[in-house]
Amino acid sequence: MSKLALTLTINGERHEVHTEPHRTLLDVLRVDLGLTGTKENCLEAECGVCTVLLDGHAVNSCILLAAQCAGRNVLTIEGLARDGVLDPLQQAFIDHGAVQCGYCIPGMILSAKAFLEERPAATEAEVREALAGNLCRCTGYQKIADAVVNAARATAAQR
Amino acid sequence: MAARTMRVVGKSLPRIDAPGKVTGTAVYAADFALPGMLVGKVFRSTEPHARIVRLDVTRARSLPGVRAVVTAADVPDVRYGGGLKDETVFAKGKVRYIGQPVAAVAATTPEAAQAALAAIEVVYEPLAAVLDLEAALAPGAPLVHEEWASYTAIPILHRDGNVCNRARIVVGDVDRGWEEADRIFEHRFRTGMVHQGYTEPRAAVAQWDSSGTVTVWSNTQLPFEVQNTLAEIFQMPPSKIRVVVPGIGGGFGGKLRVGVEHFAVLLARKTGRAVKVVTTSQEELTAAYPRQGAVVELKTGVTNDGRIVAKEGRIWFDTGAFAGSGPGVASVATLVLAGPYRIPNLRLEGFAVYTNKTNCGSYRAPSGPQSNFAVESQMDIIADALGIDPLEFRLKNIVRDGDEGPTGQVLGAVGLEECLRNAAAAIGWNERRPETWRGKGLACGWWTTTGGSSGVYVKINPDGTVALNTGAAEIGTGALTGAAQVLAEELTVDLADVSVVSADTFSTPFDFGAQGSRTAFAVGNACRAAVADLKQRIFALAAAQLSVEVEACVLAEKHVVADGKRVSLAELARMSQMTGGGLIAQGTFIAPPTAYDSKRVEGHVYPAFHSPSFHAHAVDLSVDPGTGDVTIHRYVVAQDVGFAMNPTYIEGQIEGGVAQGLGQALSEEIVYEGGRVLNANLTDYKMPTTLDMPRVETILVEHPSLAGPYGAKGVGEPPNIEPPAAVANAVAAATGLRVTVLPITAERIALGLLGDVRADGG
Amino acid sequence: MSFEYHEPTSLAEAVDMGARFGAAGRFLAGGTDLIIQMRRGTVAPEHVVSLHRVPDLGAIDANGDIQVGALVAHRAIERFPAFHGRLRALVEAAEVVGGHQVRNVGTVVGNVVNASPAADVVPVLLTLGATVVCVGADGERSVALEEFLVGPGRTTRRPGELVTAVRFASPPERSASAFLKAGRRRAMEISVVCVAATVTLDAAGERCEKARVALGAVAPTTWRAREAERGLQGRAMTPEALHEAGRAAAAECRPISDVRASARYRRLLVETLVPRALARCMERLRNAR
Repeated sequence: MSKLALTLTINGERHEVHTEPHRTLLDVLRVDLGLTGTKENCLEAECGVCTVLLDGHAVNSCILLAAQCAGRNVLTIEGLARDGVLDPLQQAFIDHGAVQCGYCIPGMILSAKAFLEERPAATEAEVREALAGNLCRCTGYQKIADAVVNAARATAAQR
Repeated sequence: MAARTMRVVGKSLPRIDAPGKVTGTAVYAADFALPGMLVGKVFRSTEPHARIVRLDVTRARSLPGVRAVVTAADVPDVRYGGGLKDETVFAKGKVRYIGQPVAAVAATTPEAAQAALAAIEVVYEPLAAVLDLEAALAPGAPLVHEEWASYTAIPILHRDGNVCNRARIVVGDVDRGWEEADRIFEHRFRTGMVHQGYTEPRAAVAQWDSSGTVTVWSNTQLPFEVQNTLAEIFQMPPSKIRVVVPGIGGGFGGKLRVGVEHFAVLLARKTGRAVKVVTTSQEELTAAYPRQGAVVELKTGVTNDGRIVAKEGRIWFDTGAFAGSGPGVASVATLVLAGPYRIPNLRLEGFAVYTNKTNCGSYRAPSGPQSNFAVESQMDIIADALGIDPLEFRLKNIVRDGDEGPTGQVLGAVGLEECLRNAAAAIGWNERRPETWRGKGLACGWWTTTGGSSGVYVKINPDGTVALNTGAAEIGTGALTGAAQVLAEELTVDLADVSVVSADTFSTPFDFGAQGSRTAFAVGNACRAAVADLKQRIFALAAAQLSVEVEACVLAEKHVVADGKRVSLAELARMSQMTGGGLIAQGTFIAPPTAYDSKRVEGHVYPAFHSPSFHAHAVDLSVDPGTGDVTIHRYVVAQDVGFAMNPTYIEGQIEGGVAQGLGQALSEEIVYEGGRVLNANLTDYKMPTTLDMPRVETILVEHPSLAGPYGAKGVGEPPNIEPPAAVANAVAAATGLRVTVLPITAERIALGLLGDVRADGG
Repeated sequence: MSFEYHEPTSLAEAVDMGARFGAAGRFLAGGTDLIIQMRRGTVAPEHVVSLHRVPDLGAIDANGDIQVGALVAHRAIERFPAFHGRLRALVEAAEVVGGHQVRNVGTVVGNVVNASPAADVVPVLLTLGATVVCVGADGERSVALEEFLVGPGRTTRRPGELVTAVRFASPPERSASAFLKAGRRRAMEISVVCVAATVTLDAAGERCEKARVALGAVAPTTWRAREAERGLQGRAMTPEALHEAGRAAAAECRPISDVRASARYRRLLVETLVPRALARCMERLRNAR
């Protein structure tokens, strides 16, 4: 089986990747590029821990072939903070006690990020709907919803 | 506890590990990797009960990329386990559940490992299987373990055939109690098997070094126990095994004991390379340590004016093919069955029963939800029959300060009445109006703060920061942040000054483990002990430095202050480093034993609840009669936490615990048919999503414990306990339908309303 | 999973590859079903032909009859302004397929070709009389969706054929649609039962001129409740009429019992949800006046 030569843009950086066609974006991120901020669990698009942004939209990287992502922009949790400054969402998650074990958090933050870009003035109900594809077993979602709603307000206030 | 102003403890400060987690830099065991690492996978039984007629791994071993294939022949013939040693690394001669490990492979890629699994040849001769409790307990039932009598077990266990423990509490005389009772109520309940649902699979990486020591990076909650188990399995000294926990993505009791560490160790030894083994979702739902399903029979006698005079209960736990936590769970259950009530006559029994299913383990408040579902459901049934308000009925019977618990322990700091009244007030209990398809329900309970010892080292660095070295693992509860808050409070530094190193059997002190709601309690107390020791050294140094008496020294604002002079902790640490090896101290803590009456118990491995907590839940919900769907409008928890070390992280524990509890109450079940799991994937194992969870309103009640840091009690497990009963009671109030089976699915409600299906435990 | 990966850059190239690979090849749009099936081993193509560089497959064309191209993801359906009126059911169904992550990638056409009897958007398409456009070596053909679906996961797509679009007509004025889904939890659900209804009233706006009711997860394929539809024809849409339709659909459908639900419960859901979907259509018709 021949390998594919792929150019992937991850967090603004171009990576030349040689990999078998069946390997997923998640495989390439975690194993080939050592970016373990994106997590693995069910591998069936049921839990959302593998969520990254593909051209600004939240996707499950566990069921996307790396090949499908060539020429597109991938944002992982490692790419969210800028020059050491946390994204307001990241700060909000800290401030509102939304982090417990933390394993769902990278995917959760990225889903929220994509959603708030599209819908800056989101209600709690809308936030919950947007995060329905991200399972959390620790928090019961409440402080996560609070963090996202508050981050949205804070960002809106700055605009 | 003298009243004082707290600077750090008691405050909702952000947890210290949050920055790493929100930036993706925190490393979990599932992320851990070493150069040249091989991929390990496990070959598992496809029969519930069968003789292994033939097992041939030669073809698998010869495949490209495959570096090792191991079976029972490659491990010492050892049975291991907790109080009952019945487990083996691989099945030998016989398989006892679908999913039981039979072999393991290590290969250079996941695909090569998968191909090796497919190339293993095995022939089974099926044996009669026991597929549920009734089958396992029937006279003449096939034995899951024919040689059960020869297994090593702690003598206190009562074992017989498929029953691997019977624990019993007897108080007074229930037969006299029945005579005294005006009404006697008998009910049967059934609960399903549920999984902890951590989002990070179990994972381990093992690597041997040239000195014959193996290091295992794992997401276990109990690194020291895993170290001992591995030593037992591989017949080596524990000191040659190092277990390190980089980070855990949720545990909830499912990651207590060896899950994949032994496979990684064995494969690493065979191949001379590092090997990583990670479970799949399917393996988690077929071969992990889920919560036992249970059947409960409860008989309670009451007077007409609502006083409980006698209670007899039996709970059978389907603990699967190996005992796991079954014997302990069966014991703890009897205390939950008693409930936080004054009952003069009790006869309560818990049974752990073998079946040909996955061996079950511990899941957040083990035995709690199953037992409490029965007790609190029946409380409402009785209240309804007597025409007494369910709140008043509980208040009439609950224990108070100075009362005895079921095994004779003297109860103090009983915050239950406050919890009940607060929860009821918050849900608008007295504003209930008859409203079709809408109702409110209450449930209350009590729980323990598990004992066991914890040690810490505390070091003050020359820059004034503080290092906390603890053997406890942070499983996500924030307990180590709580302990750090205690430390910062006592040393008069800020939380930001404290950094934590944890969970490495080589370099951190022993800790009994992140289980049983004990971590903040025990590690916090160990920190206080360490500070007491440290203060002696600090004050001695300061006294010499400042020319003051030791007795004049106090700590304030990161300094030692005495007679109007002061010197910083940083300076003292610097001096100590140059002349005295540095400022470092050790602290240990073990909870004082709780006195109880040993004549009341038999076969019991957990005869008293230490520093008990008390809690009440209230829920307001509607039922859609056309579909059976439940909509929760409000959910309230009032929990006696003793002292709230960090209110935000305690709220988080309560909100998350209720989520798991509601999952067990409404939608989650590992469904077995013919010994096979039908829903071994996250599509059909239904955990609550953001849209399924209501907001949870928390009320923190504080009746300080004697033993906990600042009076704290364990907080992590209790929120899991009451949701099923609270929901069942509210559904009954809303519909008139009493569902005695978990989960209370929409189907059970809808068909139950039609009288179509027996919603009772029959 | 082990396969050769191809990225045709034109429709002709894609169709040619399809013809060459036949049953040994599978087209890849979003992959939200295909990749999972490949990982589980239920499908093992030797060739995967990605469509993402084939032009003109990513559009929703709403001039006249509506055509949804093979690369249109569910998220586009949710946000398409013209679907928020009479075609509201399309949005309601699209927005409950998996979570956002799945809807951002998974395509409607892919969902149709996957032919799960529990699919959500498919029942809505069935009520709209949709057709499926299949392109093979011998050209293009249009197949009625109802004939296209033949069993769980099975369609009349020939090996190597590429489904390029789904087409349907917007219902006439005096029409409304609705979609309801039942499941054990409120998100990330495979329907235990789902119902799509489209109702067109007569010129006077009083009686039902045409009703279409389609159900998911109650038969080997997405299924039209023809008895229920016939019973509504020409009738005033009273509560009694709607409940009769529900009973008729419940009696006629053929659900199975599985780990998600019993057949008995599925029938109960049909009996409850068909009238509710029809009632919602009527409410929308009233609000549109």
